[in-house]
Amino acid sequence: MPKSTVKKFLLSLVGLAIVVYSAFPIYWMVVSSVRPPESLLSEVSLIPSVFTLEYYRNLLELTDYPKHFANSVIVAGSTVVITMILAVMIAYAVARYRVRGKKAIVVAMLYAYMFPPLLVAIPLYALFIKIGLGDSLISLVAAHLTLTLPLGVWFLWGFFRNLPFQIEEAAMVDGCTRLGAFIRVVLPLSVPGLITVAVFSFLLSWTDYTFAVIMISSDVNKTIPVGLASMIGSFDLRWGEVMAGSTLIAAPLLIVFTFLSKYFIQGLGAGAVKG
Amino acid sequence: MSGKSTIYAFLGVGLLTTLLFVVMPVIFSISLSFYRMESFVGVPEWVGLQNYVSVLSDFEFWRALASGTIYAVLSIVLQLVLGIGLALILNQSFVGRGLVRGVSILPYLLPTVIVVLTFKWMVDGSVGIITELLDSFGLPDVRWFETPSAAMMSNVLVSVWMWTPFVTTCFLAGLQTVPDSLYEAARVDGTNAWQRFIHVTLPMLKPILTVVILLRGIWMFNKFDVIWLMTKGGPLGSTENLAVMSYRRAFAQFDVGGGAAVATLSFLILSFAIFLYFRAFPLETD
Repeated sequence: MPKSTVKKFLLSLVGLAIVVYSAFPIYWMVVSSVRPPESLLSEVSLIPSVFTLEYYRNLLELTDYPKHFANSVIVAGSTVVITMILAVMIAYAVARYRVRGKKAIVVAMLYAYMFPPLLVAIPLYALFIKIGLGDSLISLVAAHLTLTLPLGVWFLWGFFRNLPFQIEEAAMVDGCTRLGAFIRVVLPLSVPGLITVAVFSFLLSWTDYTFAVIMISSDVNKTIPVGLASMIGSFDLRWGEVMAGSTLIAAPLLIVFTFLSKYFIQGLGAGAVKG
Repeated sequence: MSGKSTIYAFLGVGLLTTLLFVVMPVIFSISLSFYRMESFVGVPEWVGLQNYVSVLSDFEFWRALASGTIYAVLSIVLQLVLGIGLALILNQSFVGRGLVRGVSILPYLLPTVIVVLTFKWMVDGSVGIITELLDSFGLPDVRWFETPSAAMMSNVLVSVWMWTPFVTTCFLAGLQTVPDSLYEAARVDGTNAWQRFIHVTLPMLKPILTVVILLRGIWMFNKFDVIWLMTKGGPLGSTENLAVMSYRRAFAQFDVGGGAAVATLSFLILSFAIFLYFRAFPLETD
């Protein structure tokens, strides 16, 4: 065999090792969630021979999981929508407004990126209790906005800056107002950037544990990461149900990633950090 | 609406949001650190610098600073070494490269809660797959959470698994911008692969690495969820960092002012570290 074929073969083996390293825990989580109790707690085989949906049924019928799932959808959905609206307006103003001092907004947003979570969570929690909205989904959305807004503004600012101003001018010459030019010309051209911001805002909000455990205390308002984590603290450890719950949280993320991985990698490259 | 008023309206929204979500919480948090507050509904009582005196004279604060720094440095160094290594491999051409690249990012997508729960399940004392695997090789049981150093290593292990893909992806994107001609020239000069990595790749990717290390550093230093979910800062407080300490003070010991003081100090320390970092590695601005 020529040397380069050997090298390619070895590289493929290394590639296989990387796949096992990265994906095995995910595979194991899914497999453990469909393995009947007798085999889950006794044999260790890589591929299960019998399957069951028992844990999923228990999870959906006997626990608060469906309620927590709905809460997560509401919180992540609202966070994405509000982030998009505000970040687009702020980033556009900062990118186009020609006066010194506008940088203050961008710098403040950058600073917010490095705040310790508790520096933001303690005052927000105190504040929402004071106005009677402690332990509410609204307070959690507000907390998530402190993560997603800096990210969105920072990313879209870079995006709008790279769009030449001439495109708005041309639209305005054709009779558009500034707002019209923005909505009809700038926004459609920014769709890739908007998708990236939406993907990351969703990811941050959907996966967040830190803010959720601080802002939410009552069982009905918990989001799934917190609800699931509290299952493991209980006396009776039910690994089958815990793994089923984990699989259901991961599923939307894996689906979104399969279709939008391009935007995801783009965002990563631009420093859109999650965790 | 005229052109100017649209921009002013947008800018007004921007200033208001920045004030509401960024400036105000921090000012409020810093001011809380000067009060004694025994619950979130109680009436705060002004105590001046007393919270800071009590935090700074507390042995736990210095221990949390030390173990948080050890955790952050260890996990950043390992993420960098592993991440750069993976990026170099994924930059070669081989069968199935696209698939491997995609799969290697997956750990970064998962919520911390899932990763920690799956890790705990895999190392479960009686039926965990890793426990069985070690057993079948005749290796002794690992007590993942029982000694301070084992608990620290477990935290680092999980963190490295989760966040290495960020380094890999950024470095890989950078590698694709290095022109092949540079490597050709270096090869003509008779350099080996290691020399080319040190003298061509690293200098070309220095700007990217500077940012990656900065971002990872900030997030690992502020990390709360991994440590809280894995060890709750234990055993005996040995893996507690400043974020966990601040949470415990404010929400478990009902010392809101003390928790705010720890958070403020942690922010000051981080700002100072970043200041030093920028002195050593100035960002190249365009």
